[in-house]
Amino acid sequence: MNDVTRHDAPQAPDNREREMETLLPPVDIFEDGSALHLIADMPGVTRESLHIEVDNNVLSLEGEVRLDMPDGLAAIYAEVRAQRYARRFTLSHEIDAEAIQARIDKGVVELVLPRKETHRRRRIEVKAA
Amino acid sequence: MFGDLRRFDTGRTQGLDWFRQLMDEMLPEAGAADIRSVPHGSFPMINVGRTDDAVRVYVFAAGLSAEDLEVSLQDNVLTVSGTREVAAPPEAARTDFRRERFRGEFSRTLALPDGLDVERAEARFRDGVCEVVLPKREELKPRRIEIQAA
Repeated sequence: MNDVTRHDAPQAPDNREREMETLLPPVDIFEDGSALHLIADMPGVTRESLHIEVDNNVLSLEGEVRLDMPDGLAAIYAEVRAQRYARRFTLSHEIDAEAIQARIDKGVVELVLPRKETHRRRRIEVKAA
Repeated sequence: MFGDLRRFDTGRTQGLDWFRQLMDEMLPEAGAADIRSVPHGSFPMINVGRTDDAVRVYVFAAGLSAEDLEVSLQDNVLTVSGTREVAAPPEAARTDFRRERFRGEFSRTLALPDGLDVERAEARFRDGVCEVVLPKREELKPRRIEIQAA
């Protein structure tokens, strides 16, 4: 236990600083019979600069904004003030991490997180008495 | 010349929105806000930059394509408008957990510096970002002045 605190303490400020520079992409999350769907807006992110990872039931979505801007471009007005998007979600145990599918089109990331076969929604027949 | 745009500066990164809103509630802004300024996190977000020969506008409009976005410029006021439909899957048995993404019609306006050549303006879409290049008029480009020896 002591070990854990000692290791964590010096890293904390560093992490926080990094988080300050990231954008939080807006997401839609919904569920249907067999899977969870996650849609995130990450304009400027390309297929190559997008990283999706599941580690220890935590899904992390990261992407870097890749714009080809000419040299010597000076910002005169900026609403998007970071180069990276990052967002994390905790998954529940019934998600089949192996079967997650992702695609990106026009800066919109779509993830399909299927449930494990054993956890799919099942219809229960109600018999007449 | 560009001082005009500074008033659009609405602050910090999007990720800190909740904190900012909390602070704004506690400490309401005393000064007058610009008539066209918008709360942070509006859709689409816009960045403007300039080079020696052009002003470049980046519209962060994920999911939109060229036909969905209308860009017009009148008297140095740039208007970006359009509609973003978020396709709803036909499945009826659907539970929504989060709906944060913008849907519906939008229109945003932004004042740009003077002296842009609208006739030669170009716009293109890539990865959900629309880049509008507005070249400066010839007479406004920086010019090198030759210094002659006396």
